[in-house]
Amino acid sequence: MAAGEVEGGKPLNGLLNALAQETFHGHPGITEELLRSQLYPEVPPEEFRPFLAKMRGILKSIASADMDFNQLEAYLTAQTKKQGGITSDQAAVISKFWKSHKTKIRESLMNQSRWNSGLRGLSWRVDGKSQSRHSAQIHMPVAVIELELGKYGQESEFLCLEFDEVKVNQILKTLSEVEESITTLISQPN
Amino acid sequence: ALIRRRLFKARNTLVDFQWKLGMAVSSDTCRSLKYPYVAVMLKVADHSGQVKTKCFEMTIPQFQNFYRQFKEIAAVIETV
Repeated sequence: MAAGEVEGGKPLNGLLNALAQETFHGHPGITEELLRSQLYPEVPPEEFRPFLAKMRGILKSIASADMDFNQLEAYLTAQTKKQGGITSDQAAVISKFWKSHKTKIRESLMNQSRWNSGLRGLSWRVDGKSQSRHSAQIHMPVAVIELELGKYGQESEFLCLEFDEVKVNQILKTLSEVEESITTLISQPN
Repeated sequence: ALIRRRLFKARNTLVDFQWKLGMAVSSDTCRSLKYPYVAVMLKVADHSGQVKTKCFEMTIPQFQNFYRQFKEIAAVIETV
């Protein structure tokens, strides 16, 4: 039985999942032979390989173009009409897969393209600080902030910062400028 | 906020905060990225006065959360 004729959506859905894990989410190590034996055991290896390559190519094209549902339908329809393309059953499985995984795949692609550290977490507390036993007690509150930073695929780095009230307000002012910029950007027609 | 062991580590003070708003358009793995991001460059000084640079990026939702947390910090520090 040729790979193109094997149906029931489950094996193809499983295949697409495995491809997404490897290509987008950074979890390689799922071998071709493992996939074939688990999902398409009746398909010979020499037939499975081009089938896998075809599915990988289709998934990459869809993700790369960040296709919306109209584009997806047009693209998949074209694939069903091609010589050596896909069946309409396969198109339906791929369509359903992309609709449910699009957001997660896109997020992975965004993470992969960020070569700086990303902000993974932020914790903070405010301490009251008292000084000097020998003169009037000075009560100076201090904010202690811990930033968790990390590059794609690497361990986190923690940066611990101390701010007094003046500094906190300076930062707040800067952040409001950033927000203004964002608002301007978003309100521009593109 | 939770008090964690790491918060007792060496603390740095912020010397400078620079930012830019960028738009990722396209990459080798994704021709249609199109997402805005905030890139930040911090200059921080440790207790010995040595200055280091730290860069990182935030998506817009991450930035909004960052901003919201700073507003909370400001509100708390005002009342202490």
